[in-house]
Amino acid sequence: MTSIVSAVPLSWVLIVAGALFCIGLFGALTRRNIVGMLLGIELMLNAVNINLVAFWRYLEPQLVAGQVFALFVVVVAAAEAAVGLAMAISIYRSRNTVNADEVGLLRG
Amino acid sequence: MGVSLQYAWLIPTLPFLAFVLITLTPVRRNHRASAWLATGLMIVASILALAVLFETAQGVRIAANGSVELVALESPAGENIGAERFQAPEANIVQTFRWAPAGDSIITMGYLIDPVVALLLAMVTVASSCIHLFSIGYMADDPRRARFFSFIALFSAAMLLMLMASNLILLFIAWELMGLCSYLLIGFWFDRGYADPQQITPRAAAIKAFITTRIGDVLLMIGLCYLWFKAGSLDLGIQAGQVFDSEFLRRIGQEAGPFGLTTATAIALLLFCGTIGKSAQVPLHIWLPDAMEGPTPVSALIHAATMVAAGVFLVIRTYPIFVASQALPIVAAIGAFTALFAALIAVGQFDIKRILAYSTISQLGFMVAALGIGGWTVALFHLLTHAFFKALLFLGAGSVIHGMEATIGHDPNRAQDIRNMGGLRRFMPTTFLTYMVGYLSLVGIVPFAGFWSKDEILAESLLTGNFLVLIVLLLASLLTAFYMTRQILLVFYGPFRSAALVHGETSPEHGHAGSEPHESPATMTIPLILLALFATGAGLLNLPGIHWLSSFLGQPVHAFNPIAAGLGTLVALIGIGLGIAYYRRAFTTENERDPLDMQIPGVFAWLNGRFFVDQLYAASIGRLTLALEVFSSTIDRIIDRVVIGFDRLTTFLGRVNYIVDDTLLNDGADQIVRGATIGGNGASRLETGKAQDYLAIVFAGMLVLGVVSLYLLGR
Repeated sequence: MTSIVSAVPLSWVLIVAGALFCIGLFGALTRRNIVGMLLGIELMLNAVNINLVAFWRYLEPQLVAGQVFALFVVVVAAAEAAVGLAMAISIYRSRNTVNADEVGLLRG
Repeated sequence: MGVSLQYAWLIPTLPFLAFVLITLTPVRRNHRASAWLATGLMIVASILALAVLFETAQGVRIAANGSVELVALESPAGENIGAERFQAPEANIVQTFRWAPAGDSIITMGYLIDPVVALLLAMVTVASSCIHLFSIGYMADDPRRARFFSFIALFSAAMLLMLMASNLILLFIAWELMGLCSYLLIGFWFDRGYADPQQITPRAAAIKAFITTRIGDVLLMIGLCYLWFKAGSLDLGIQAGQVFDSEFLRRIGQEAGPFGLTTATAIALLLFCGTIGKSAQVPLHIWLPDAMEGPTPVSALIHAATMVAAGVFLVIRTYPIFVASQALPIVAAIGAFTALFAALIAVGQFDIKRILAYSTISQLGFMVAALGIGGWTVALFHLLTHAFFKALLFLGAGSVIHGMEATIGHDPNRAQDIRNMGGLRRFMPTTFLTYMVGYLSLVGIVPFAGFWSKDEILAESLLTGNFLVLIVLLLASLLTAFYMTRQILLVFYGPFRSAALVHGETSPEHGHAGSEPHESPATMTIPLILLALFATGAGLLNLPGIHWLSSFLGQPVHAFNPIAAGLGTLVALIGIGLGIAYYRRAFTTENERDPLDMQIPGVFAWLNGRFFVDQLYAASIGRLTLALEVFSSTIDRIIDRVVIGFDRLTTFLGRVNYIVDDTLLNDGADQIVRGATIGGNGASRLETGKAQDYLAIVFAGMLVLGVVSLYLLGR
């Protein structure tokens, strides 16, 4: 069996991660639905994760720090998703909407 | 003994009290009460003045420490000829109090009675009382007569104060007060106007009198200041530090003063200018004829008996200075010239009061000439007799006018014109007889008073060798007799020329006219009779042989000079004869001209026109004053333009300031604000409130940072 390191060049994985990040950014910036924004953010976080893991596996596979870092990011992403959803529910309860355009209270 | 001398200060106080009461209390609403109050107080004052005269005649003298002594009055030996023999009479009483400090000395005020003063006090108070009484009848129809009586009371108080002043300052104050009263009384009928614009109204006449005498008064004041500067005080007296100290007089008689004159001459001339103004000498005589616009009692009191005599009194009072100076010939010249000049003018006048006014000026000229040749005693004598007979003549004229108003009405131009009169002796016998006494006295017929005094003046001029003065005065006497005879004939003799008005053939102008002229009431005729007695008897004052006046004044006596007396009587008789010859049958028809006018029309026109002195003054000094006025108003206008220029400049700068302020600063600030607002508005568009937009901004910022750090800063 050939390892993935020799079969797939690093740049391809990074490009996938980068593309995924851009898709996630695009989704975060343009979705009207709050939950959609949160999905985009999750995508961005996952893209970052892929990036981290790729760099660990291809460059320093013996170091555990890479895996630990990715784990951290997953935990943070989960916590942040929970908080974000809680906020979305709270907004829906008070304003009866999940449209981000209609929650522009900070509009100046 | 000496009581009345100590209470002599009451003499001017009583008429002043009358003035205060009438002016300031409701007495003024009751015209009868005001009139009798003034008259009553004046009579009391005259009784007191007569008592003072009596005591002075006894020789009572009260010294400064209050001791009373009797001094025999006698004339020293020798002839009283000329100024070199001048001896001032000694004072009978001097009471002064300290009034104000002035430098190192103190000005005192008070009164001083000596024989001269006592005589004049008696004369002024008696004449004033007669005229007060006369006015009660004369002014009976006037709605403002309370005011009249308050004014003549004030005037009498001022005159008496002047006579008794111990100090030249007080004399000057009273002098000015008299001028004020003269103004008030001449302009008493201030609302009277005339149809002819050339004719002077009482208002204008009052102003003219005041301003003309003012010219003299200013010069007098300068003289007093100069005298004070030289002498150190203005108290009258012969002690050191006072004005007549012999040491001082000798010093100023020799000291050189301005314009090449000695100091004494300069002072004397300046003081004499006051006399020229007040006593109506040429060239300041112009106010007196126009002062006849006032009521006749005013003319009698002020412009015949008293105020005009004040000028003569001033010279008598300050005679030691005149003696020490070289001004006496000038005084004599002015006096003599005035006597002749005024007598000429009187010949050509038709207004009964103006004839008497010019006669007064002429007689004052006699007095001033007498002063100039050194005979102050004779000048004083003539002053006394003149006061009585001139007041008599004026009051008689007033009585005549009063009677004429019954026929002609209250138009003064017609009631006072002698061409409208005639034959009045049949209608007003008392007035006629008293007027004749005054006339004979003025002309100088024995034994009336005027003869003695005029004779003494002529004698004085003869004996001092002033023949020019003698000739001029004789000419003036001749003219006096001539014009007075003219007046008598035209007023009292012949047919009554206004008879047509009596029987209603032609209608009169105003008032209750149309009746025959009647004799005046008793309040008017009694003073006339009284004054006639004085005019007759006053000559007894200095009869030759007795010479009471000279001894009373302590002066050496004249002997009676028959040459002078003869000359005087001769010219008087010539004058009377000429008068009768010309005017016996004059004006027998309505529109006849004056006989002199027919014979010498050119000369008569000059005499009637008063030698056109008023017109000369108007053309010269009047034009000068107008030119000064134009000059001053031009300067005024230039200053105005400058001020307006400043105003325009300031307005312009203000506008510039406004523009700068408004455009630059205001609008500039506005623009800045707008810019800030727009900027703010623009910036606030970033704040959409949408989280995604904020995220986008964060991403963009990160991109920029990344590019900058990787590519720019990483090098």
